[in-house]
Amino acid sequence: MAIEIHTLPEHMPNDALRYVGKPVNRVEDPALVSGTVQFIDNLSLPGMLHCAILRSPHPHARIVSVDVSAALAAEGVVAVISGEDVKRWCVPGFTAPEGWGNYCMAVDKVRFVGEPVAAVAATSRYLAEDALELLHIEYETLTPVCNPEQAMAPDAPVVFEERGTNVMLHRDYTWGEVDRVFAEADHIISRRFRWNRVGANPTETFGCICQWDLADNSLTCHGAYQTPRFMAIGRAASLQLPANRVRIVTHPQGGGFGGKGGPRGTDIAALLSRKSNGRPVKYIEDRMEYLLAGGGQSWDRYYDAALAVKADGTVTGFRVHLVDDQGAGAEGYGTISAAKPLAAFTGNYRIEAASYDLTLVATNRAPTYPYRGYGPPPHNLVLESLMDCTARELGMDPAELRRQNFIRPEQFPYTVPSGNEYDSGNYEAVLDRVLEIADYPALRARQAAARAEGRLVGIGVVGTVEPGVFDWNAYATVGVPGVGVPEGVKVGLDVFGNVSVAVGFSLQGQGQFTVAAQVVADYLGVDMAQVKISTASSDVALPHFGQGGSRLGVAVTGAILGACEKLNAMFCKVVAHVMQAPEESIVLRNGRLYRVDAPEHGMSLAEIAGLMLSRSDLLPPGVEPCPEATYVWTSPNRNAPDDQGRCRSYLTAANATHVALVEIDRDTGRTHILDYCIVDDCGTRLNPANVEGQLQGGVAQGVGAALYEEYVYNDECQPLVSTFVDYLMPTIHEVPMTRKDHIVTPSPVSPLGAKGCGEGAMHTTPATILCAINDALAPLGKEMLETPASPHRLWKLLHEDQATSA
Amino acid sequence: MSSKQRIEVRVNGTRYVREVEARLTLADFLRHELSLGGTHVGCEHGICGACTVLINDQSARSCLTLAVQADDCDITTVENLRNPETGALHPIQQSFVDAHGLQCGFCTPGFMMTTLELLRENPDPSDEQIKEALGGNLCRCTGYQSIMDSVRLAAQRMKSSTLG
Repeated sequence: MAIEIHTLPEHMPNDALRYVGKPVNRVEDPALVSGTVQFIDNLSLPGMLHCAILRSPHPHARIVSVDVSAALAAEGVVAVISGEDVKRWCVPGFTAPEGWGNYCMAVDKVRFVGEPVAAVAATSRYLAEDALELLHIEYETLTPVCNPEQAMAPDAPVVFEERGTNVMLHRDYTWGEVDRVFAEADHIISRRFRWNRVGANPTETFGCICQWDLADNSLTCHGAYQTPRFMAIGRAASLQLPANRVRIVTHPQGGGFGGKGGPRGTDIAALLSRKSNGRPVKYIEDRMEYLLAGGGQSWDRYYDAALAVKADGTVTGFRVHLVDDQGAGAEGYGTISAAKPLAAFTGNYRIEAASYDLTLVATNRAPTYPYRGYGPPPHNLVLESLMDCTARELGMDPAELRRQNFIRPEQFPYTVPSGNEYDSGNYEAVLDRVLEIADYPALRARQAAARAEGRLVGIGVVGTVEPGVFDWNAYATVGVPGVGVPEGVKVGLDVFGNVSVAVGFSLQGQGQFTVAAQVVADYLGVDMAQVKISTASSDVALPHFGQGGSRLGVAVTGAILGACEKLNAMFCKVVAHVMQAPEESIVLRNGRLYRVDAPEHGMSLAEIAGLMLSRSDLLPPGVEPCPEATYVWTSPNRNAPDDQGRCRSYLTAANATHVALVEIDRDTGRTHILDYCIVDDCGTRLNPANVEGQLQGGVAQGVGAALYEEYVYNDECQPLVSTFVDYLMPTIHEVPMTRKDHIVTPSPVSPLGAKGCGEGAMHTTPATILCAINDALAPLGKEMLETPASPHRLWKLLHEDQATSA
Repeated sequence: MSSKQRIEVRVNGTRYVREVEARLTLADFLRHELSLGGTHVGCEHGICGACTVLINDQSARSCLTLAVQADDCDITTVENLRNPETGALHPIQQSFVDAHGLQCGFCTPGFMMTTLELLRENPDPSDEQIKEALGGNLCRCTGYQSIMDSVRLAAQRMKSSTLG
């Protein structure tokens, strides 16, 4: 049976939608504000031990000896593990590209500061940490490679000896006639950019409780897991267990943003449980561990990029040369962040040809992991900064240069040179609206007046496309196989007509339980209060992925619609049988199934569910006594990539344009955001309050990346950031209270026309702020091409002339 | 390290007498000894504010406070906000729900306890005063705008309920 997934809310069998499209209160919130949600550190199991991990102080060193005897004899200590145990029981994690994985704990040598070297399980966390001080590790230090330049030098020390090189991957893509468009260009605008490492830093760090069942040889892991099934497969592989012997029970998470980490901590706690005769072992990462080596550092990049531009401002080509410091291996899939830009390589523009020369390099910095955006934030910063440089060189208004190059509404679906297909959009309408709410001419007048006073005031006008609803095929570039990412749900009714939905993921903050409840309630015509959403553990959940790649709101909507369609068909069959009417004459509408030709003859959902569960004698042949349906949704119409990585990857293409007005304080180098406006278009807004929250949260992270946040390493590859005193998270004082509006261009291909919207503001904000900063600096003839444009960096730039002349 | 000290604290109106190690943080004491898990721990070095509780009606970082320092003190945690009889949410809680002032909710107890202190001392705060009060609490999800809205809404509701 082909299931049709509705692409507009009004296609649902309900005359008056009560929830979809409205900013309804979230079902998640009453428990969250009460403090009763079971975040992982709120869970204790009988007999539970606590894990503490000893981490390497060296970026690169051989482990000469490990002496655990004193620690093992310490008060409360039950088990200690080190590289020897790991070597015996585990294999390195799988990676893309293959062969750049680490064991969960250093074996023979350490590759970065903070790499786990040994771990203790004790009766309390305090005692476990005491015991760490009794572990004696002897190291023989090795020369570290601190950055890609060192890593690619001849005779450089190698991070992974068995690879013989520090270059993980080099690809050179050409899409269209790049050489020709650059040869025929009237202007070639090129710059080098440096994006320094930033990271996710959810307020809750990673945590888990692992219990190894020695009789069954199986493992149960409770924890703050973003992608439960994926995590289960990974643990099975690294711990050498059959995949159906690993059960992941995911708990509500205090944020994720991709950077929650978890594999190493889980494996270590699992091995300690195994060594503790199966007692449960809790590991709660602390913030210093997270900042040193947690799974959240991202994007350590060196760009050399250029635009080919005609005299009239038409941009015809985009060349990108990227060297990406992945840190010590690919265990965190930081590599994917270099592949994702293919999904929207040329942004909002009709750029006809592009090339991408990509080198992924291993160094002795901490391994990189996903972080919200997963690659496009730096890429967009490069593209959009070059657009601004172009506008300055041609003497054009940056907003008008963009407008001139936009993909036009009638050109959708539009295939970009790098292969992805954008489903829909109206970029000019978004630009017009944001310039209107910002009162762009007034901003320019304000800027002119400020400049006349010698103040450094600048404006950024930046639009980006947000690829939404990821597919594995987008990441083929770095060796990720596969097409199709599943998201499965089960929808069922009880005899009272209450609705239960089982999903494979847990709360992380984006409000997907609410979206699921809105969609199922409107489809079935029930009150949202009658709906209960629960998380199934990975062993019984349907195939799923969970949060990631701006997909879950759309994906769970698709899955629920699919399951509801199946329920609808089944209920029609039951009602037709009971009423002795033709099946085609029965419809579901407004929460009731009835005969089209005699609407007074019908049944409520509770009556149908009750009948199905308690009167099997009345069921038609072939219908099971089960008012439940499952559906596993995946993006329609995806395809395998060609040899240049081109494919239909991300399903939806939301877009937004941001306008920022900033002022740089000459004396301190600090950038003040004076005004910030956003207009976005993510199609149908399933819950507008959720969308707004995603936008504003993305702005905050974008402000952090653009101005403050940085994982700093010194010349010896020692991280200088280990607390929030060093890693500067934006507070309420730094984040602008934005003015927002939106337009709605529903996706013609996605469930209810919604487009992925979790990352767009992070894609746009850093570029917007940097463009505004460079606009402010323009009268001085200076440019800031490195992030974060911290007070320190800007002050140095502003005062470099004085320094040299003095 | 196991020499213990006897403390007596009143938490949310209930008196507890416990023997604790001198090094035990108040956050760990509340969370793991008293099973009051609503106070969350985000950084354990006093920056993020997730662990904010009231000690004798003053906001404090329970991660930087030792349990022994709270001896003979009155402590208020997020668990005390709901009406214990009816289960009704406190106006601050309800305002955070209604104004979508949270996403993951991990930092929220800290924000709400800080807000409680603010609104007790200043029932009608300006935006600048709200920012000043909340400047020591980190939220990684919301970008703070809906938190501002929540606090404004809570102030309005608490004022009208006092007047009414």
